Amino acid sequence: MFNVDQCIGCQSCISACKNENQTPTGVNWRRVSQITEDVFLSLSCNHCDSPECFRVCPEKAYTKQRDGIVIINPNRCNGCMDCVAACPFGAPQFDYEQHKASKCTMCYTRLQNNLQPSCVEACPTDALKIVDFNQDLPVSVELTVAGFPDIVLTRPSTRFIPPQPRRRYRLNCLN
Amino acid sequence: MNTTYEVFRNVCPRNCYNSCAMLSYVRDGKLYKVAGDPQHGFTRGKLCSKGYAYLKYVYSPNRLRFPLRQYPRGSGKWEKISWNEALEQIAEKILELNKRYGSNLSLTYNNGSGNIGLLHQYASAAFFNSLGQHTKPVGNFCLAAGQDAFTYDFGQTLNPDPEQMGYAKLILLWGANPACTAIQQMKYINAARKAGAKLVVIDPLFTSTAAKADLYIQIRPGTDGLLALGLAKKLIENEDYDREFVENHIYGFEAFSRYLNNSDFSPSRLSTVTGITEEAFYELSQLLKEYKPCSSWIGYGFQRHSNSGQSIRAINALMALTGNIGKSGAGAYYLHLGQEAFPLKLANHNSSVQNRLVNINDFASSILSLQDPPVKFIWISGRNPLSQDQGLTAWRELLNQLELIVTVDLFMTKTAEHSDLVLPAASHFEEYDLNISYWHYWLALNEKALPAYYEAKSDLEIFRLLTRKLNKLSAGFSDFPAELSAEDWLASEITTQIKVSYGINSWQDLKNGPKKLQMEIPWSSCKFRTASGKFEIYSKLARKNNLPALPKYHPPQSSKHPFQVLSPQKNEFIHSQTKWLPRIIHDQASLVLINTNDAQTHNLRDDESVILYNDNGSLSKKVQITDSVPPGVLVVFQGGQEPINSLINESFCDMGKLKNHYNGNAFYDLFVSLKKGGDSAEAAWFFV
Repeated sequence: MFNVDQCIGCQSCISACKNENQTPTGVNWRRVSQITEDVFLSLSCNHCDSPECFRVCPEKAYTKQRDGIVIINPNRCNGCMDCVAACPFGAPQFDYEQHKASKCTMCYTRLQNNLQPSCVEACPTDALKIVDFNQDLPVSVELTVAGFPDIVLTRPSTRFIPPQPRRRYRLNCLN
Repeated sequence: MNTTYEVFRNVCPRNCYNSCAMLSYVRDGKLYKVAGDPQHGFTRGKLCSKGYAYLKYVYSPNRLRFPLRQYPRGSGKWEKISWNEALEQIAEKILELNKRYGSNLSLTYNNGSGNIGLLHQYASAAFFNSLGQHTKPVGNFCLAAGQDAFTYDFGQTLNPDPEQMGYAKLILLWGANPACTAIQQMKYINAARKAGAKLVVIDPLFTSTAAKADLYIQIRPGTDGLLALGLAKKLIENEDYDREFVENHIYGFEAFSRYLNNSDFSPSRLSTVTGITEEAFYELSQLLKEYKPCSSWIGYGFQRHSNSGQSIRAINALMALTGNIGKSGAGAYYLHLGQEAFPLKLANHNSSVQNRLVNINDFASSILSLQDPPVKFIWISGRNPLSQDQGLTAWRELLNQLELIVTVDLFMTKTAEHSDLVLPAASHFEEYDLNISYWHYWLALNEKALPAYYEAKSDLEIFRLLTRKLNKLSAGFSDFPAELSAEDWLASEITTQIKVSYGINSWQDLKNGPKKLQMEIPWSSCKFRTASGKFEIYSKLARKNNLPALPKYHPPQSSKHPFQVLSPQKNEFIHSQTKWLPRIIHDQASLVLINTNDAQTHNLRDDESVILYNDNGSLSKKVQITDSVPPGVLVVFQGGQEPINSLINESFCDMGKLKNHYNGNAFYDLFVSLKKGGDSAEAAWFFV
């Protein structure tokens, strides 16, 4: 779950992901984009219900695990980049040196050891969280948010808390 | 192959509020990853984007590995030399200068905040003091004005525990941007908000923190003092102040009320000067009246103006009037001087030496003015003055006068490029240190986690070697205790008082985790360290030092140039420390941020090149149009190919000399004009 209202755009999540997974240059499993002056989106793989990467991969390199996590097997990847083109969220990242795609694993080895994914652990404002869909979600939760690509095709597993309105007084320019 | 990691405790030594404690995972002498140290009660196991990227720092291909000599200076013709050759050249020069002038006054150094661990920050002070009389820089670039303001009001600078900010009901951030510069503090701010507190950000820039504030008030740079005094006047008029606190613990309330009554602090004047609407002013005064306790936090950028000492005193007065002093969740936050309780053996080595003092904030000009003897040798460490100092024109002249320039750094900075010798510095993973935050109350040990990176050495180690070399060539020339190791220096810092206040028996205890200073809430006893024993709105000490006794509003600097330039920090880098950074697509210091209206007036488009100029020079930047910057203000980030500081010259704050010998640096009183054109090819591209 991503709380847009809490994200300060600090990019700790990106850096923590790279530190944990040692992804090479230019391969960023998690990315932060600035949607408007005050809204950031921190996005990675959404571990979709109907993953398009899984559907298009000619080598059947993708699996959707019982726990919902979508995994790519690098040994099967032939570097065709179909998944890179198909994913609306830019989750599969292409490593031009290895000629293979890779993506967020939701840090499943950390989860097995009762640790949070590295991005969640790093987030200083708890804007990123793992939530159990079988438990109660906050009432304000949304399936999508402004700036997030269309969810109809793949049904992402990410949930959002949208930004709340705030009072702002800009400089009185007339003087 | 070894599959288990050794885990060490380290501390990020960047000049930053957070001073995050980290765990480093090492196998076969190589760093594999870093993590936040969950035992650190303030940072609680989290790092920032810079901290998590430390592998890229340690193993950056740009990192310096060997001592280098450049001849001729500035030619870019570098030659790898041995440590022995480097130290011999330095020692011979020092001895030759000593012989030529009959003293060491031709020697100086310039040390910055590149590594704020105790054993790094003060190593050069100790070494140069060991030589006896020399030319010593004093002063503080960062926070001198504010420190004096706090001293006049409270008698001493004491920061409330930032973890207590979580109990505030109102948080006022004056030019502080923790979402960028103190992300660990956001936890406590959010905790307070969750419990019903209001977060108010008062800032000329719409920062990432402003974006999360319940109330954001944009203000013209340098006019906060007027706002604070206006609020004070309104609260006094409506009798919405803390009568008990005022009567018992404030000195000079009547004089202050008279000053407010006799001057124009009307909402209309406030609106004209600060740019704040009367509605915003009213809303803020209501919050101050209704929401208690209130924590105020004054950012360091705030006091980079010529009138900032007065502005800070005005905010402190506002906190005192409303009784927001000495209580949980209340207080004026600025700076924690945790280091002062330590003996600081390095800083105080031979401190009785009568040195020739120069102002670090006017360094190059001050040095150039010295004769008999002139300064001929400089040692630069932990700093990149050719990017970060003001008065760069004078610096260029100074470089010509110097016969030997030695720079110690991890990277080939702008300053290193203009040096004769560059010595490779150790990263904090490669040497012991002790870190005391200037914000939170935690003390943490930095362990030696990695073997030396090629031939890199810590500042302390370099001075140990140089001392031996000097004393070999001229017995007894330096009394720097070269026999003492880093561990010995650590042990000497842990006095009985430190053991008690941090609950430890030795520095080795910190191997088990950081420890927190046990201290009551500052000023909870309401016994202030001033002459009157009260909070002094009226300060006789200030008057004695030729300052107004009361906090007075002084208008900010103005200029014939239409734009004021602010140069705040980014969350991706600190100052000019960017040479190792991954993921920054292009050098953000090559940008100039400009308001939409101003861009229209000047017919500018995004990515267009412009020239910023004033009497000190000109430089080229690329336009980025944004409404996060108000009209009349430009933002340029620090460092880069054409550092913005080259346009700043002799700009000082109103305070600083009480506690730091000289007044602070008014980096933000920088005014420029702007015209289209310029070289757009300067953007330097960095990749991961």
